[in-house]
Amino acid sequence: MSNLNSAHNCAVCPAHNPGNLKKLGINMESSDYVIALAGNPNTGKSTVFNALTGLRQHTGNWPGKTVTRAEGGYEFDNKKYKIIDLPGTYSLLSTSTDEEVARDFILFGQPDVTVIVVDASRLERNLNLVLQVLEITDRAVLCLNLIDEARRHNIEIDVRALSKELGIPVVPAAARQGEGIPELLKMINEVATGKFVCKPHRITAGSKKLNKSVEELSIKISELYPELPNSRWIALRLLEGDQRIIDAVKNGDLGTLRKQNTVSELPEAV
Amino acid sequence: MSGIEINKKESLLAAANNMRWEIGENFHDTLMESIYADAAVIAKKSVLKKGKKEYTGWEQKLDKIVTSRIFGLPLMFVMLAVVFWLTIEGANVPSAMLASLLLDDVHPLLKEFSAYIGLAWWLDGVLIDGAYLAMAWVVSVMLPPMAIFFPMFTLLEDFGYLPRVAFNMDNLFKRAGAHGKQALTMSMGFGCNAAGVIATRIIDSPRERLIAIITNNFALCNGRWPTQILIASIFIGAAVPAHIAGVVSAGAVVGIAVFGIFLSLVVSWGLSKTVLKGEASTFSLELPPYRPPRILQTLYTSLIDRTIFVLWRALVFAVPAGIVIWLVGNVSFEGLSIAEIFVNWSDPFAIFIGLNGVIMLAYIIAIPANEIVIPTILMLTVMTAGIEGAGAGAGVMFELESASATQDILTAGGWTLLTGINLMIFSLLHNPCSTTLFTIYKETKSMKWTIVSALLPIVMGFVLCFFIAQVYRIIIG
Amino acid sequence: MYNQILVLFLSFLILAFVVWIFWPEKGLYAFIKRGKRNSKKILVEDALKHIYDCESKNLTCSLNSIAGNLSISADAAANLIAKLHKMDLIEHGTDNVVLSSFGRSYALRVIRVHRLFERYLADETSVHEKDWHIIAEDKEHLLTDLQVNELAAQLSNPMIDPHGDPIPSASGEIMEVPGIPLNSLTPGEFAIITHIEDEPGEIYKQLVAENLYRGKQIRMLESNKERIKFIANDEECILAPVFASNITVKKIEKHEEIREEFKRLSSLKIGEKGIVAGISRKCRGQQRRRLMDFGVVPGTEVRVEMESFGRDPVAYLIRGATVALRKSQSELIYVKEYVKEEELN
Repeated sequence: MSNLNSAHNCAVCPAHNPGNLKKLGINMESSDYVIALAGNPNTGKSTVFNALTGLRQHTGNWPGKTVTRAEGGYEFDNKKYKIIDLPGTYSLLSTSTDEEVARDFILFGQPDVTVIVVDASRLERNLNLVLQVLEITDRAVLCLNLIDEARRHNIEIDVRALSKELGIPVVPAAARQGEGIPELLKMINEVATGKFVCKPHRITAGSKKLNKSVEELSIKISELYPELPNSRWIALRLLEGDQRIIDAVKNGDLGTLRKQNTVSELPEAV
Repeated sequence: MSGIEINKKESLLAAANNMRWEIGENFHDTLMESIYADAAVIAKKSVLKKGKKEYTGWEQKLDKIVTSRIFGLPLMFVMLAVVFWLTIEGANVPSAMLASLLLDDVHPLLKEFSAYIGLAWWLDGVLIDGAYLAMAWVVSVMLPPMAIFFPMFTLLEDFGYLPRVAFNMDNLFKRAGAHGKQALTMSMGFGCNAAGVIATRIIDSPRERLIAIITNNFALCNGRWPTQILIASIFIGAAVPAHIAGVVSAGAVVGIAVFGIFLSLVVSWGLSKTVLKGEASTFSLELPPYRPPRILQTLYTSLIDRTIFVLWRALVFAVPAGIVIWLVGNVSFEGLSIAEIFVNWSDPFAIFIGLNGVIMLAYIIAIPANEIVIPTILMLTVMTAGIEGAGAGAGVMFELESASATQDILTAGGWTLLTGINLMIFSLLHNPCSTTLFTIYKETKSMKWTIVSALLPIVMGFVLCFFIAQVYRIIIG
Repeated sequence: MYNQILVLFLSFLILAFVVWIFWPEKGLYAFIKRGKRNSKKILVEDALKHIYDCESKNLTCSLNSIAGNLSISADAAANLIAKLHKMDLIEHGTDNVVLSSFGRSYALRVIRVHRLFERYLADETSVHEKDWHIIAEDKEHLLTDLQVNELAAQLSNPMIDPHGDPIPSASGEIMEVPGIPLNSLTPGEFAIITHIEDEPGEIYKQLVAENLYRGKQIRMLESNKERIKFIANDEECILAPVFASNITVKKIEKHEEIREEFKRLSSLKIGEKGIVAGISRKCRGQQRRRLMDFGVVPGTEVRVEMESFGRDPVAYLIRGATVALRKSQSELIYVKEYVKEEELN
């Protein structure tokens, strides 16, 4: 484990957290990368899941129908991907069960890529969740789904500008028609293998007083867990009194999380 | 973990705690507002044309009708009736074909084969007359209606109609002190109560979730339709001219289903006034945009996910139940089979409340799966009433080719219109099947509420059947 | 056979009898359950709470005040005090009763459960405000330490109960919440309600009925010995000083925070639009968070879309999505007059 401390730049090796994934009930033995699928309800998340995996999971049209996690897999560029469909949520800051499932997976599972599915015709509203996810993880791809519906309603989105603002790749898609899925697969691969390095947008936290507290706390957290990629978000959660995070500080679960873009475990041979 | 590290952790948490007091309670509000402010900035930079995103045209017009204050609810009931009618009418022919194939063609073949290899009579009975016939019955009676109902239900679901149902019915649920999403979980319950119970996870408030779980059983699940449909066509359809019999029996089934909805409201109200005290809380449900469903994929997924899944479950339970039925019909003490002993013992009470001992026994055997109630009843009726020339011998579960043949047997077994009506009521109001009970236990993690969910409907069923019987006897004599 | 009419009549009688036994609050079962409440543990814990209350208000606590507060006879109170003493929960003075350090931490634990549970009822359930205290009075004696900590975790470790009292921490620390009594506010001053005392219950009920709650903003109009008159949101409110003294407030500077001129979302008609000005403080916990998740934050445009049967719930177009809300929720959302973008320029 000594090589963990030396900050090697490993661009191609997986960043997911095998120990924690096992705790979360994900078996990673036959897969190289793990992808999480997050998004608001009614954005066609399950359709994207089916399009990626070729599975035909039933996609109902009512909010909250994916109450449990669905798993699937596919191969791309000779690598095996495992994909986890998280429950659709509007936010990750509340305390309902589905949000906790999604939040815990992205935080503790450290998926290699988190694909955030949004409804292109309701972009602004969906950005709420996108910005929250980007607080937790550095590796994400935005899937601008239902782009056909947006076009029909005469909505036009500057994909490049959006990608620049968010600091992650943005892929317009219409999963029902299969439009954009090859591009999505490609971008997932690029982020997973480190060819595309994300610089995610971070939230500017409201008042000055709040910002100062977050900064102060975040420094303290970094002192304790220097490897932690998202100390600011942990600070925000501590300020909300989130027991799961308090426990993670106490029992050292946070110590298992590593910066994803620069440092990761090297193969045993090195 | 070193001592220093522990101290650092403690001081970190203490610092966070002090800051919480300084920042005050508006923290979450401020944070959310700043996230939306950021989102607005990003959206402004990247959305080139805002277009007319407000939904107009056919979607809005349709919503105006479907959720109309006046037409919303009646439209919903009409739709329900049409779905049931299509199911009843459409399932008749394939059901009869499957029955004749599995029972008239395959069953004798199996019998011949077992005679040929010289199977012991009891093994032959248990396997072929018990397990195989139960399985054959479940397939022929359940597969056709499910293959019609589930795709239709799934089409409505994919289209986005269910949230509108919840929207239409919320006012009633609010008055009952329940959660608006209970209408959604109830709709799922029409498919399968166990699925409905799992779906209650979408309800945040624990009190309202418990109410939704306990009352889900009042949504008539698909395992109970064969009973409803058969009894409705025999006793209610037969009472009217033949050309409207289909519509009237469908109406009777819808009546029972609507009565179930009514009871679930009443029980919700009762619970929220007593043991699960509280006021109706929130609703906040998003009504998603309509999405034209893709017919072929819907057919495929509903067949794979629902029909086959539910059918498989029914088969798994039907096989052992078939064995039990054969055993209670054939194992005897002092010349009477177990079935006869139980029926004789429970008849006085059962007839008093307008049912009979055969129905009681059938419901006990059918605890694992409600689907096998009707064949069990028929078999036991033939056996205890000693009808000659019908069926295939003691303890053999069989299907009769026409409803009128079934009626002959039931009438000979002492059945009246009252027994028919009360069986329909009792089929709505009895304990949930064992899968649902197990799901309730898993979801609530409480033995107490599981027992309540089991006993509440059965007591209600007894009480209601009793009153119907008394009133019926006073009026009809 | 038997006489059917007689049977029917008798069974109706039996049914009525069963209903009477289990009728909520007034039935026999509820009556017996209420009677069983006076167990010894409850008496001990209630006494500790009372003594703690006296101490924090710098009042002397005597045998008589205990008997009065717990509504038991003086003899029973004397027995109780002897018992508390034996359990090392109190230090016995001649005239007054003082908590021992063990007794204090015990009392704080009971208070923690009580306030946490009130917070739970306020945030996560739909139990009416006037019932919070009553239910919490019951639950404070029943929950185990583990359950209490789980409850705190579920609520994200709240600091303050819905009335504005600080919740003691698991280790028994309690914070001071600053504030001044409503009576000491001078006319013209703006303030925000930070605490409403929930005992005695009669006064509290009255204050709840006046639609006063924590977080509500007020402007003082008149304050003298006869009456206290102030504006709370958009309603004028007059209280007797005795009642007003049960309310603690914090002065605020910003006048614009007062939402007098704002309408409630529930008052808009189909097709009308409004701009969200804020969510009432009365909307708490999960419910509040859910609304914000849907995008109900100041500045959001809302349009009334559809009404359901009975005009409740109503569907609103919020940030491009149709969201159905019950009237009890839309009443808590304040909206400003909608101004078209062209008119702004």
